[in-house]
This record gives sequence, structure tokens and C-alpha cells, in this order.
Amino acid sequence: VQSTESSSKLEMPDYVAKYTPLVSLDQRQHYKDDFNAEYDEYRQLHAHVESITRRFTQLDAQSRKLTPGTKEHQKVQEEVLKEYKKMKHHNPSYHEEKQRCEYLHNKLAHIKRLIADFDQRRAQAWC
Amino acid sequence: PVEGSGDPNCVDEILKEMTQSWPPPLTAIHTPCKTEPSKFPFPTKDTHAFPS
Repeated sequence: VQSTESSSKLEMPDYVAKYTPLVSLDQRQHYKDDFNAEYDEYRQLHAHVESITRRFTQLDAQSRKLTPGTKEHQKVQEEVLKEYKKMKHHNPSYHEEKQRCEYLHNKLAHIKRLIADFDQRRAQAWC
Repeated sequence: PVEGSGDPNCVDEILKEMTQSWPPPLTAIHTPCKTEPSKFPFPTKDTHAFPS
């Protein structure tokens, strides 16, 4: 999934040039090590962003069920603002984290795909 | 909307920004690096396929 923020940075990600299709088992191990080296960080960031997204999605759903202008609706709207301020306060680098996570997601998916392709080619060669 | 360009004050903007769909996490690479694929033991009944 590409983010919509297109900037000059969005030409070709560095990992596409770095991780080319696999040709050897040594290389496979190397790619896998690289994947694992960043996987924990990725999962942490992912879970963090997910929990925040879930919270706001809940509020969004709540707000949609209510009629604008009513007291209840107003309350949910205030809650959204409150949550947002809280989030900004506790996670000032939330946007950077999210971007980093998106980058890692795409990078790790790329590496994983190359490994899967390699495994498939090998499996076919053995048949 | 450019990320990090300031705080949106409008609730709608906040919701739009904060509820962008988030893909499920990638799973780990489970397959151990084997030196060869696991082999099937040749079924013994195959011998019947070649009657002498």
C-alpha cells in the first residue's frame, strides 16, 4: 500500500536496488537475516499504529451513528479532539513512526517475496 | 494533506487522517533455511508398477 503523500522521495525505494532476485542459498540466509533484523521493530511500530488507528476508528463509528448537532454527537467530537491531543502529547513522533512502519512494511514484503520466489523456483527444480 | 505540517483542528480532518486503513502485519518468514526440500519416501508399492 503506497501512501498518498507523493514527494520526490517516492521514486524508487532504496531496497529495490539493494535486494535483487536471489540466486543462492547463502544469499537467502543473508536476506532472511536482514528481514529478521528489522522485523521486531516493524511489529512494534505496526501494533502501535494499529492500536491508535483502532481507537479513532471506534470514535469515528460512534460519531457516524449520532446526529450532528446533538449533545451526544458533540461529546464524541470532543472526545476525538481530546484523544488527538493526548496522542500528540504521548507520541509526538507518531507520523514519523507511521511512515517508518510503512517503509518497513514495503521493504520487508519485498524481501519476503524474493525469498518466496526463490523457494518456489527451487521446489520446482526438485520435482 | 501533508503529514506533520501542523495540527488539524477540525474533527473531520482528524478522523480522516487517523482512520486511514491499516494493513494487517506481515507474518515472519517461517520456513527454516533447509539445504534441500524434504523428500518423500518412495512408496514401496511403486515396485508393482514395473512388473517383470
